Amino acid sequence: MIPFSVFYIMEMELSRVDYTLVGITAPQTMKLLPSTGTGMTQKVTVADQDGVLQVFSVKKGDIQIGFKTLPSAGISRLELGGALGTVKDKIFVSSENEVRGYTKKGKLFLGFDTNLTEHIKSMHVSGSNLLVCGKHAYNQYHDCKDTNSYLCGDEINDVISLSAEKNNRLTPVLACEDRTLRVLDRSSLLHNIEVDAIPTVLHLNGNEGGETGDEILYGTADGRVGLVCIGRTEVNHRWILNDGKHRGGILCMDCYDMSGDGVLDLLIGRQDGTLDIFSLGDDAGDGKLTQRFSYSCNESITSIHGGVVGNAGYEEVVASTYTGFVFGMVSSRTGVCCTRSTFTPLSDISERLENLRMEIDEIEQRVNREREKYQAATQDKVDGLSAIPFIAINDKMTLCREDASYSLVLEVQTPIDNVLIQSDVPVDLLDVERNSAVVSYSACEPASGNYLLATYRCQMNTTRLELKLRTIEGQHGTLRTYVTPLVQPKCCQVRQYKIKPLSLHIRCHSFDHQRPYNILTLKGAFSLGEIHTWVSFCLPEIPEKVPTGDKVTFTFVSTFLDTVLHCSYSKGEAEFKSDNISTISILKDILTKEATKKKIKLDLLCAVNDESVVHTLQLLHPKLKVQLALSKQVSLLEALRELETHDAESLECLLPEYKQILKNEKELLTQYKRQPAHLDRLYGMITDLYIDRHKFKGINVKGKVPQLIEILDKYDLQNLLDFFQQQSV
Amino acid sequence: MAVPIFTFNVNHKLLPGRVTIGKYDGTHSCLTAATTADKVLVHSPHRRMGLAVGRVVPSDANKELALLNINQSVMSICAGQLSLTEERDTLVVGTPTTLLAYDVENNTDVFYKEVSDGASVVVIGKLGSIPNPLAIIGGNCSLQGFDYEGNDPFWTVTGDNVCSLALLDFDQDGENELIVGSEDFDIRVFKEDNIVNEQTETEAVTALTAFRGNKFGYGLANGTVGVYEKLQRLWRVKSKNRAVAIYGYDLNGDGVEELITGWSNGKIDARSSRTGEVIFKDNLNHSVAGIVEGDYRLSGKNDLICCSVEGEVRGYNLSRQVNVRSDVYGGSVNAETEAIRDLFTKKQALMLELRNYELNSHFSEISVGEMGQQLAVANQHVGIIPAQTRLQTGIAVNMGTEDKPPHVEISLSTNNETVICAVMVFAEGIFEGETHVLHPKESEVTSRLDVALYPPRDVPVDIHIKALVGYEGSQHYHVFELTRQLPRFSMYAVLVERTQDVGSFLSFVINERLQRIAMWVNQNFLLLTDYEVVGDLNVTFLSLRDNTEVTLSMESNGRMEIITKNMALAGDIVQSLATFLNLEELQVSANFPEEQEKIGELIQKVSALQDVRLRLGAEMADHSGLIRSLVVRAEDARHLDDMKSMRKWYLELNEVNTDLIRGYNIRCKNHQELLDALKELNVIIQKAARLRVGKYKTNTVNLCRIALKNNNLNSLVKIMKTGEA
Repeated sequence: MIPFSVFYIMEMELSRVDYTLVGITAPQTMKLLPSTGTGMTQKVTVADQDGVLQVFSVKKGDIQIGFKTLPSAGISRLELGGALGTVKDKIFVSSENEVRGYTKKGKLFLGFDTNLTEHIKSMHVSGSNLLVCGKHAYNQYHDCKDTNSYLCGDEINDVISLSAEKNNRLTPVLACEDRTLRVLDRSSLLHNIEVDAIPTVLHLNGNEGGETGDEILYGTADGRVGLVCIGRTEVNHRWILNDGKHRGGILCMDCYDMSGDGVLDLLIGRQDGTLDIFSLGDDAGDGKLTQRFSYSCNESITSIHGGVVGNAGYEEVVASTYTGFVFGMVSSRTGVCCTRSTFTPLSDISERLENLRMEIDEIEQRVNREREKYQAATQDKVDGLSAIPFIAINDKMTLCREDASYSLVLEVQTPIDNVLIQSDVPVDLLDVERNSAVVSYSACEPASGNYLLATYRCQMNTTRLELKLRTIEGQHGTLRTYVTPLVQPKCCQVRQYKIKPLSLHIRCHSFDHQRPYNILTLKGAFSLGEIHTWVSFCLPEIPEKVPTGDKVTFTFVSTFLDTVLHCSYSKGEAEFKSDNISTISILKDILTKEATKKKIKLDLLCAVNDESVVHTLQLLHPKLKVQLALSKQVSLLEALRELETHDAESLECLLPEYKQILKNEKELLTQYKRQPAHLDRLYGMITDLYIDRHKFKGINVKGKVPQLIEILDKYDLQNLLDFFQQQSV
Repeated sequence: MAVPIFTFNVNHKLLPGRVTIGKYDGTHSCLTAATTADKVLVHSPHRRMGLAVGRVVPSDANKELALLNINQSVMSICAGQLSLTEERDTLVVGTPTTLLAYDVENNTDVFYKEVSDGASVVVIGKLGSIPNPLAIIGGNCSLQGFDYEGNDPFWTVTGDNVCSLALLDFDQDGENELIVGSEDFDIRVFKEDNIVNEQTETEAVTALTAFRGNKFGYGLANGTVGVYEKLQRLWRVKSKNRAVAIYGYDLNGDGVEELITGWSNGKIDARSSRTGEVIFKDNLNHSVAGIVEGDYRLSGKNDLICCSVEGEVRGYNLSRQVNVRSDVYGGSVNAETEAIRDLFTKKQALMLELRNYELNSHFSEISVGEMGQQLAVANQHVGIIPAQTRLQTGIAVNMGTEDKPPHVEISLSTNNETVICAVMVFAEGIFEGETHVLHPKESEVTSRLDVALYPPRDVPVDIHIKALVGYEGSQHYHVFELTRQLPRFSMYAVLVERTQDVGSFLSFVINERLQRIAMWVNQNFLLLTDYEVVGDLNVTFLSLRDNTEVTLSMESNGRMEIITKNMALAGDIVQSLATFLNLEELQVSANFPEEQEKIGELIQKVSALQDVRLRLGAEMADHSGLIRSLVVRAEDARHLDDMKSMRKWYLELNEVNTDLIRGYNIRCKNHQELLDALKELNVIIQKAARLRVGKYKTNTVNLCRIALKNNNLNSLVKIMKTGEA
């Protein structure tokens, strides 16, 4: 953690104040209760995975608990509600398949068992309507009576409804894993809004949905924010914030006027621990948000809310983190000098410290007693068990579109001691700048099923570890991580991640019919369920459940090559179309293997389109050209630099091309660093393409590969095309 | 996050580790660094302008820069007071073959010396009782000190190529000792020619810096930095980045210097020399090239100056900044909030541990047997093993199989049906990284796992083992942690009797009981049962590395013999014994015919290579004459519009050029061979010295040197045998 957190970005200057530490928190489980009067401080309500809901206020830097419930099942969501038109100060929490309502004083006024089979993942309250979503099912209850429901084909990440005050009707919106926002009308689908990335969180623009109450902000898994305007008949994409930087996925959003200039700011909490504040000014219309503040806290931020908590009259952003820290980023208005009075007097803090220390001493003694008891048990008891509960691990493996590599994030409630990474397929671990752990690669023999064995020894107080790895398409297997936290008795937990054969593909919406396609058709006695399992074995982002309907279609795009794959299958028949012959070849191999395992006879038909190879090579052409130019320029750089130091005058005689290289030195180098081994990967893809193309013709061309590499080194599109053509004769 | 007091950019690339600062006119500091194209850059913002202003004018940097042409790649650079008479600094530049001492102010050479071992590191200062300040250079296994006149009153050899040097009054007797870090992971302390201390680290020692008192900081090639106080390591930390430069500077004004480290990722941090706690950090945009200290603002105080490889320079003086910060924001308040956060974290960790024990007691009533395994697999939230599970370990020498060479084997096993799913071995210096992991296939996990280790060198190693133990198919394992020490000579297996006949041996007399020697054997070798002396001591070991034998024998009259072909091993044994028995000095008689023969060959080879070099040099001189005339002729022809002749001359020039390049390549190769031969020669002398202890050790080096100078092979062999000329 950054010890001293004062920032000077834009005019905002915020510093961190920690309020309390609760259990692990799920996303969107901390909110501020509405203010009871101007200038009054607001109360914080937070619910954690131990099932404890608490409301507290801050007085003189110390927290005062309003009420606190007893531990029970973990709380997945916290919402505020109230009758339409009144102050929303009722607290609703969901845990397992139950929803409970509390008043701000802590009185339980609602205990509602939904009797749903799935656990509630997300929830929204609008007047007397309660919207809950499990993994796939949406249910709406009016005054606790089941009113409407909808079954979604893919997982639901978040639910919200358009402002009921302004629209006079209930319009639910679901954020779904298949990159869509689904707008419902009662139990049926009204709109299916396609978005570029997986939406993870929804929020009403300006907390009320804008002037017309139909504007919704959505945050995505790749860290972008967009605004859509949802009307009865049409949907308007207003903007999507796309600044080209790769950022952590968004977990929570809020709108609040932090700077006191009458313009709302957008507060964003991300998975990578960044807290961002953007200005939602007039120029937000074209998707150009101005960033006003950024802070990084090294663990994911699960909830965020703007308000006045610590000191009356001072706006702050309150956020909660995965491990349960609730902290405020305290502001001081521009122009007003940040004086000591904004902070709590020293004496109060030392008192607080003293209390904490005493509390810890007490716990320490208890722990020591228990520790001795445990040690004794391992010595004496003949047939006892040592049973240690799992420590919660928040992990996520996502494919980054920009550099076609996977990012794996492991987050643990308590500091990590070490992490062992093991893989039974070849993968490359890439260096992540933010990751300060000492990595050590161990020698390993593929014969023992290990292609990668690496340990990460974490530095002090690391609760979050970020890794980046590159996979190779066509090779599939499992990546395992063994995470050992620092807590005694020492234990470690295994996490497994499947690396799929077509690991670099992601789902998309549009399918370009113009491209030349190779078509693989399968026929056989397989059920829809079976073919669905096979496809989900090959490709990422396939829903767990078999989609409803007779025919299922998915479209994918390769993050590395931009080639597309179109799958459509039904009972007994499947068709795969791709402009990349290698993709088809991989699919063919895997599907045959899977079918043989199940002893199902398949009729395979491969229609190879010769034009597709030319098309793919042309698709690669600009990428390859850029990369070759880049590597050439970088290799020239050293020599040019020497010239520069040697004789500055001679620079004048250089070709403009070379002068340009020297001028752009920095950009070139950063670009080169950002894509390590990019060229090698491209070469690999072209070689695969070459081999696969001839494999379909029944020719083995492995011996010609060195010749191909030679041609690639002196790259010229026409020569390459000729080489591909000439061999096929 | 601190704000530097000044920043500027010299707009040249700087080579990492080759940055220094000097007062060439006696008053004004000039930042000096090696840059690309074999040049040295001198940045003198104050000297030329002669303005006594308290700030650096960063604009128009070109006028403040001077470039020195070295024409050979710059290996090391240092500025310091070398002359006794004049109160100003001399710049010393080391290249692979030469050492140049240069007077920057007067733009003249002070001396220019050929140094065959190269000068990869250089420091300037006084050493021991030698009256004149020396420029001490470290090269291939050798150390050499030159004074202002260019004489070299100091010369000695060391174990491997020198990577770092520092001068420090180690024993606080008022005279400086030389601390040498080398590629064989050793830090040695030289009191003039005498090694007074040796400490083995875990990687090549790339950086050393002296503090006031007897502390010094060190940096290793694997990203470790730390601080020693005399022989005691106070602390160390490891990072995934490499420490390019380290420096001792008192940033917070508490009178104690902090260890300032410049990392390869551009990070700079200052750590308390006592505890290693970070008190300050900043980030440069590129890898750090060097850290120096100098009065760059003419304020009368020395600032800390950090340079990056891209020429960015930042100066710090933190003591001022701490004040600024606390004035405005109340730094102490923030320290308290930080403390609160730490306490929260601590509380959380304790609560978690408590939760572990509480939950454990829920299960404690259930008995093991079939139940345990079923529970473990079925339960998705609790990791279960029988409470009485123990991890048993054994360390032994394994003679290997057909596809596995002999090794030291650590066998781990559990005492029940639980399995070992993976083992992580943390140890430094014996693997490529710091860990070795064993992870059997899921179908092949058992309750027993053997770890094979191949320690590459004869040093004691601490190994930390983490074994993951649980039921088969479970998702959660208990971690068993244990630490073991491998003895120094673990790669040797005991044999019943000697089978190889070797003519080389080492013999000496020590006044010790046989039992003490037996004790040493037991502590330093990996034996199944303790060795006990019956009559005379006689043990034979087989080296697992090269299958040679070594026999130790000692009669009751104190005469000890070590029979082995391996002179380095004999030296290691002598040194280890000497430490164990607290021997101050020891003279031995040795006979290693192979090495003696080799030294003769090497001397011949060196003289042959030197001849070739001279000849090649002469050839090159001829060529350069030829080139000059060819260029003139070709240009003449061009002026006369005689294109045909011009073409002819240029073609000829091209040929000469090709010849030159060919000659250059030969010279390069020749030079490399020469370097290797010289290095080997130094290594043999070092090995011969290590057979002895105390003053005899130093004597051997000095005598060998004289013999080498006189090219007296017979005397050299005699010195190796007897330690006397």
